Amino acid sequence: MEVIRLEQIEKIYSDNGVPVHALRGIDLRISQGEFTVIAGPSGSGKTTLLNVMGALDTPTEGTVFLENEDISEKSRAEISAFRLEKLGFVFQAFNLIPVLTAMENIEFAMMLLGIEEKHRRDRAREIMSELGIEELAGKRPNEMSGGQQQRVAVARAIVNNPSIILADEPTANLDSDTGANLLDLMEKMNRDHNLTFIFSSHDRQVIDRAHRLIRLTDGRIESDEQVKQ
Amino acid sequence: MLLTIAWRNIWRNRRRSMIVLISVIVGVAAMMFTDGLSVGMIHQMLDNRIGSHTSHIQIHAKGFNDNRVIGKNIEKTRIVEHAIEQTPDIRHWSRRVVTYGLLSSALSSSGGLIIGVEPEREPNITSIRESIVEGEYLSGAPHEVVIGRKLAEKLQVGIGGKVVGMASALSGDVGSDLFRVVGIYETVSSEFDKTHMFTTLDNAQSMLELDDRVLEYAIIVDDINRVEEAAAQLRRNLSADYEVLSYIDLLPLLVAQMEMYDEMMYIVYIIIGLAMIFGIVNTMLMSVFERIREFGVLMAIGMKNAYVFRMVMIEAFILGVIGTAVGLGLGALFILATGSVGIDLSMFAESLTAFGAGAIIYPKLTMTTVVNVVIIIPLTALVGALYPAVKATRLQPVTAIRYV
Repeated sequence: MEVIRLEQIEKIYSDNGVPVHALRGIDLRISQGEFTVIAGPSGSGKTTLLNVMGALDTPTEGTVFLENEDISEKSRAEISAFRLEKLGFVFQAFNLIPVLTAMENIEFAMMLLGIEEKHRRDRAREIMSELGIEELAGKRPNEMSGGQQQRVAVARAIVNNPSIILADEPTANLDSDTGANLLDLMEKMNRDHNLTFIFSSHDRQVIDRAHRLIRLTDGRIESDEQVKQ
Repeated sequence: MLLTIAWRNIWRNRRRSMIVLISVIVGVAAMMFTDGLSVGMIHQMLDNRIGSHTSHIQIHAKGFNDNRVIGKNIEKTRIVEHAIEQTPDIRHWSRRVVTYGLLSSALSSSGGLIIGVEPEREPNITSIRESIVEGEYLSGAPHEVVIGRKLAEKLQVGIGGKVVGMASALSGDVGSDLFRVVGIYETVSSEFDKTHMFTTLDNAQSMLELDDRVLEYAIIVDDINRVEEAAAQLRRNLSADYEVLSYIDLLPLLVAQMEMYDEMMYIVYIIIGLAMIFGIVNTMLMSVFERIREFGVLMAIGMKNAYVFRMVMIEAFILGVIGTAVGLGLGALFILATGSVGIDLSMFAESLTAFGAGAIIYPKLTMTTVVNVVIIIPLTALVGALYPAVKATRLQPVTAIRYV
């Protein structure tokens, strides 16, 4: 099943009045259960492409279909609701809410969906147990290591059972062992739950894990190959 | 959970939150104290006017209040007294003769009100007997007069001194009598003390050739809040030949002043509220700017604008509620502590006594003040948070996430 379809995406930024062509004529289709890495040098448009896929940014031209729905026709509130239900985000800087504990950070995404407290607690415990981070439940982000925070961020991203996880340089702030562990975890989630993972990264170990590797250069898709089954 | 987040966010920057809280607390306490002081002063002015002469209700012959001439007297006193006795809620009443006249001593003279009162009944109505600072109150013997300290100074008489009172008699002639000063009183109003002299009702009636006629009935009711009901009942009990006036009718300037004070307090509320709004706007704006990245993340994971808006508003509301509660407690404590002993404003004594308020002001805590503060301050905090909250909802997640 196709979860993302991009048609002729163009993105032009204005950088102090100077137009910057970040994406040029991107056509792309992502299917359910893919483990895709978008690679490329800095400034190639990886993050911009990921933001467009995640409905965080709007293209200058072209159409974005998420689960076969044209998101350009949706209001800001509808896009927020769509992101909440269908998409999960993992950021380079973890971006947990500093005043909440790990458990509360995971619960927060469920609260936004209106899930009642008891069910939130149960589901958060279940996810934490699956990711092996139960002992972090009562800790706040400043009491956790980078790797631990990123695991909690992954838990937050998957807790609402989204169909797509978008991870922007998720290992950039982690040492290689921690990064490898995180990728193991994500691969497991992909395998066990058929979750779609889309990474943007220039980290070798992330690229090596890719099942599908898309290389970007100057906002264009340079190559798109299935590297693993 | 939003409450938890809001609460913890407030304490992320303790110093900033404490500064804004202290400003709210001080503002609320100051607002309450100013209000309490004004209310206390106004009530004192009113109580003093009621207690020194006005009483709660006065009955005259029709038109007397507008044209205080001796011809507008009450001849059929029995009818009025029967009406009074038929009216519930009336605790005390007394007959009076009130007329403008001249009081002269050997050295000086002064105009003012010559008031004939019933020495045994009048102390239930006014506090002149308690205000005697030299000599004694009227005993009922003929030719006694009680005058205020200021008048005594002007006439240069003391206890036992002789004064001559003169006023228009009923016949149109000048009625006069020789009085002996038996008491000197001093109220909180220097103006009153300068112009009011008291003698017995019999003496005044005789001097003014009134026989048993009186010019005024002064009435005190059980509950000041039921004055209008009692006055209305008296009007029903009496014919149109009489006028029944409550202290609200009799003291229109003071009542207008009370209303003006109320309005002024709203201006004070607005000024303090505006100052607080700027404090809250500043604090909440800083708080939003510090968390731009966090708001970006929240929006990215699907938090709707309404939630973002609510989150900022809740934080401001909590600050407003805490500030109000503590400020209210402090203000109430201060008012209650000073309410019984009073605040000595002797340095402004001259102007305060001229206003009839007294040099010691007893602040008064009213339910209106509490309700005003409880409603206005948290609302003010919410108004102050509107702009920062709207600002937060305008953030674009994609740029907010990258904000450093």
